Amino acid sequence: MLIVALAQTSSSSSAAVILNYVFYLIFIGLFFVLSMPGIGQRFQMSFAIRDIEGKLSMLEKFANDSKVSTENLLKEKGAKDPKGLTERLAEIFTIDPVNVEPTDIIPRMRLLLRTTENKVRDLITMSAPGIDNISRSKIEMSAEVTNALNMVYKIVRHYLITAKKLNNIFLVYQLQMVVPQLVKQAEAYVKAQKTFIKGIPIGDSFGPMVASRFLMKAETKREVSRDTVAGEVYFEGRKLTVIKAKGPMATVGTPGEAVAKVVEENQGKVARIITVDAALRLEGEKTGSIAEGTGVAMGDPGPEKIEIERIAVKYGIPIDALISKMSIEEAITEMRKEIYDAVEPMVEMVKQLIRERTREGDHIVIVGVGNTIGVAQ
Amino acid sequence: MYSDPMSSQQQELRVRTVVKCTRCDYTNTRDFKDGDYVLKTEEGQCPKDGGELYIAGIYAEEVKREQQRK
Repeated sequence: MLIVALAQTSSSSSAAVILNYVFYLIFIGLFFVLSMPGIGQRFQMSFAIRDIEGKLSMLEKFANDSKVSTENLLKEKGAKDPKGLTERLAEIFTIDPVNVEPTDIIPRMRLLLRTTENKVRDLITMSAPGIDNISRSKIEMSAEVTNALNMVYKIVRHYLITAKKLNNIFLVYQLQMVVPQLVKQAEAYVKAQKTFIKGIPIGDSFGPMVASRFLMKAETKREVSRDTVAGEVYFEGRKLTVIKAKGPMATVGTPGEAVAKVVEENQGKVARIITVDAALRLEGEKTGSIAEGTGVAMGDPGPEKIEIERIAVKYGIPIDALISKMSIEEAITEMRKEIYDAVEPMVEMVKQLIRERTREGDHIVIVGVGNTIGVAQ
Repeated sequence: MYSDPMSSQQQELRVRTVVKCTRCDYTNTRDFKDGDYVLKTEEGQCPKDGGELYIAGIYAEEVKREQQRK
């Protein structure tokens, strides 16, 4: 390298020669330093950490903005100590039931989930006595989003600090791979919170919207289980019991419990159970495309879905699943036109299924599964 | 509002409310306003047959706007 430098500079001025020597020395020095074990890795780590820290600050902003939105909503409804309540709701957690012994895991899971729901509900109603159900449900959804964003931010921060402390480049690489997806999901959650606060139907409201088309014709509707309503209508000689969450509150209700109750009230004399829900689409599939299948179309952790499966097994009732496909962001933000346009075709599909698979005099249970925000009955 | 920094178009969602008549096939679409929900009775009467109006649906549609590259 020195011979090359000499050859190149032999005919130049002395200042240029010195400058050339300096550049070559710096280049050789850097090459020597970077070739030493561990140094290159430290450089790579510092670049990756800076990238993750940038995304972490975005997650922090999302979490803080979400807290402000929830706090403002509480203030609007005259809640006492909105800031304190928001902080409390942001930190609430539920511990999973023991799964080493899974025998009665469903009732245990149901108890834990219901306890958390009741706790949040009671905290809000104690802070804002006299609040109406619709506003209370909006605050509950808003608090859920705040809680989720807060947890995501804290978990990413925890792993980043751990990786720095342990100087673990593999942990940093894993974080760098996962964090962009988390940021995208967090962005969708923030948009979803704005939608919940305005009371606009979301993509997941597809099932309740289909059910509401049938329930419009029902003369009476009754509350069969917590936050869930049912009504009876007749279609071509068949009796239809249509179940959906009680709207226009932002709630998914307890459709599993409702179906089990309705079937038991009729001594199991139900010809078919039809569930209508939104489902995640694969990349390349069209938003709003509808499909038919078998099983309980429900994105539930377990307790509600298993109730329908158990009652169907007890009385030998076939279960049909009808879905409309959408992305996760489309499911939790404002209902897109393509999804709304699929409502009428889905109603026709339900009617077609009833004509094909049942006879006159049969009793069919139809469940519109999903969050019923902005959709009444 | 979703915006893709790599795109020259900025996409915005505009929420619309579909109003129908309970008796005839009259349909009108207007901008969403606070308090709207599906199956809510709409103020006013059907201009065709004087029937009751109700909100049949609420959806969001994309409004594409050209964003000038800086």
